[in-house]
Amino acid sequence: MKYTEEHKIFRQALRKFLEKEVLPYVDEWEKKEGVPRSLWKKLGEGKYLCTWVDKRYGGFGAGFEYTVILREEFAKANFGIGIAGHSDIVAPYIADYGTEGQKKRWLPGCTTGDIILSIAMTEADAGSDLKSIRTTAVKDGDYFVINGQKTYITCGIDTDLVILAAKTDLNDDPVSKGISLFAVEVDTPGFVKSRKLNKMGLHSQDTAELYFDNCWVPTTNMIGEEGMGFSYLKGELQRERLVLSIWAQATAERILSDALIQSKTNQACLQPIGNFQHIAFEIAEMATEVELGRSFVDKLIEEFMAGKNIVTRVSMAKWWTSEMANRIACKTLELYRDYGYMEENPLARLYRDVRAQPIFGGTTEIMKLIISNNLGLK
Amino acid sequence: MDFRLSTEQIDIQKAAREFAKGEFDPDAALEYDQNQQFPSTIWKHACKLGFIGVHFPEVYGGQECGLLEYVLIIEAFCRQDSGIGIALAISGFGSEMILRHGNEIQKLRILPFIAQGRGLVTIAFLEKDCSGAPLTTTAKVSTNGYIINGGKSFVTLGSLAAYMIVVCQTSSVDPNAQSVILLEKEMDGIGVSSMGEKMGMRMVPMDKVSFTNVSVPKENTIGQKDKGYFQLEDFFNEMRIQTGAMGIGIAQGGLDRALEYSKKRRQFGKAIVSFSAIRNKLADIYAEIEMARLITYKAAWSFDKGRNDNQSILMAKMISSKTAYRATYEAVQIHGGYGYMTESHIEHFYRDAKALDLFLEPGQIQRNMLADQITGKINFIE
Repeated sequence: MKYTEEHKIFRQALRKFLEKEVLPYVDEWEKKEGVPRSLWKKLGEGKYLCTWVDKRYGGFGAGFEYTVILREEFAKANFGIGIAGHSDIVAPYIADYGTEGQKKRWLPGCTTGDIILSIAMTEADAGSDLKSIRTTAVKDGDYFVINGQKTYITCGIDTDLVILAAKTDLNDDPVSKGISLFAVEVDTPGFVKSRKLNKMGLHSQDTAELYFDNCWVPTTNMIGEEGMGFSYLKGELQRERLVLSIWAQATAERILSDALIQSKTNQACLQPIGNFQHIAFEIAEMATEVELGRSFVDKLIEEFMAGKNIVTRVSMAKWWTSEMANRIACKTLELYRDYGYMEENPLARLYRDVRAQPIFGGTTEIMKLIISNNLGLK
Repeated sequence: MDFRLSTEQIDIQKAAREFAKGEFDPDAALEYDQNQQFPSTIWKHACKLGFIGVHFPEVYGGQECGLLEYVLIIEAFCRQDSGIGIALAISGFGSEMILRHGNEIQKLRILPFIAQGRGLVTIAFLEKDCSGAPLTTTAKVSTNGYIINGGKSFVTLGSLAAYMIVVCQTSSVDPNAQSVILLEKEMDGIGVSSMGEKMGMRMVPMDKVSFTNVSVPKENTIGQKDKGYFQLEDFFNEMRIQTGAMGIGIAQGGLDRALEYSKKRRQFGKAIVSFSAIRNKLADIYAEIEMARLITYKAAWSFDKGRNDNQSILMAKMISSKTAYRATYEAVQIHGGYGYMTESHIEHFYRDAKALDLFLEPGQIQRNMLADQITGKINFIE
């Protein structure tokens, strides 16, 4: 990745922002299990949300390199997966498939922090098997009546606008052609944020169960064309997986840097533990994996920006970097001995948080399914 | 070789499993984990039924069983719930120090206290910088006994234990001259403070203990003066085996849940247990647990037979803790997104499993010691 002076200045300013507005508060937000709206507003003021959105709709019109920088710095701070989701996973649906009216209506708020986005695909019985969703959207005049339940929705509690996947054609064949996307606003009657879910980690990230009980949504809130929902989801998954790979890679880099510091400063038998060959070699292995990950991710970023199809390889990156980040988190924790287990140590939280990565955004197993399918093995 | 457990052992295993199934309420377990609460009621019931201190002689309140029987109980408890299992397993942390090295008076004082559930006991050996010798907690010989000064870190159950067994430096000349001394928590000069929240093993507090001129009578020396280092190594051996038991229990609990879930969970038109990628994971974990179990049982059996099998003991901890990590990692993965949620009742197994690698001493130490043993450097003191 070739960064200009401008990019470097942006990264420095972002780091300062994180040091001032985020890092001192993360522990508190973890305990409170949420982040204040004021943070979103500050992010908006800093132009750190949806930077890529066209200037016409309040964005920066920034290139993907800025997204990369944002995701790397947030990942290194081990914070803000929901902010990443909002900016780089959900907002693209509005920008890529929305009408002019919808873009004007919602995108500006997404850049200022006035509208927090979430995406609701997963259901209790439809996780990896997305096609089997049962939430329905039945047309009734100028509205669609939505019924169903979604779960594990990131930003589900604080969200102002949910991009929802529902079945508009119950008799569809193939199944995938019957899914449509809708933008459901928070105060729509029949839309209930049912409960906040407790998780192993990512405590400051609100994850929720959402209910839609005869929720009447205007037809003008459909995103794109009816029946095209599944295609749209597939279309965005490439970017989503790339962003998650960048996230995992940056997480791994952060952990490695902690491991290096720890191995040089922590002493046992009157010398830094890094002097012991078994630890030195373990770190050498970790550094090798991190280097491999970085080369791969950088190549994919370059190709993505050049408009190439990276579906198979980005699926490889997604599962491999997230599993790698977990491997090195496991080994690095041990360098702290018992201190590694104390929540006071940021690495303990990181260990819990990083476990989500091989699961969300498509499990490791689904990634392998996609790869093997694309290699011609069915 | 007859690899079967005896009828008595099978009965004990069954009894422990039934007790755990009946008593370890899953929702209560989540609450105790969340609130960092010791499962007192369950612990008291376990004591009443003779599960705690099963390896003590009857005269000290035990069931006259061996370490292997205690291993079976720990395994069954941890299998049902990792947090409650660990809490119960170490409710009498340090009891073996007294059992193997204490005198009659000490044994009669402490062992029934533990077995009957009258209170908790702990042993404090780690210090801030985690080095083994020399210790900064010193016991200076006084007219009646010792004056103890210093501090210990990572004292499991520090704030809840009525008795604290402390490993102190009794010679400034010889780094290995340490003594093991019995303290009552209420003694003057003992200060306990929390070390804060932990990632897992949350039902058991981890505390810092400070000692300021704590006066202790000579009779409170456990075993021999200046032989503490070796006594501690003995104790560690027994605890390594018990940690092995926790490991196989937690791993098995993870596998149980993953198996159950994969049979219920349907995606792509079938139960996910039908997918060979999932089946492979289950088979691999099953095999790993069986291997860890065999080495742990062997270590315990050898211990009970009085055979010197240090290698199996080291391997029991080393292998079981890694197995627990891998089994619970995969168990969470098999549960998918649900596995990351607290209400899945599987994620805490993953957090608790990580404790085992760090418990007592990090896994690397066992590797070092095992390497010493197999390369011929038998004496661990250089």
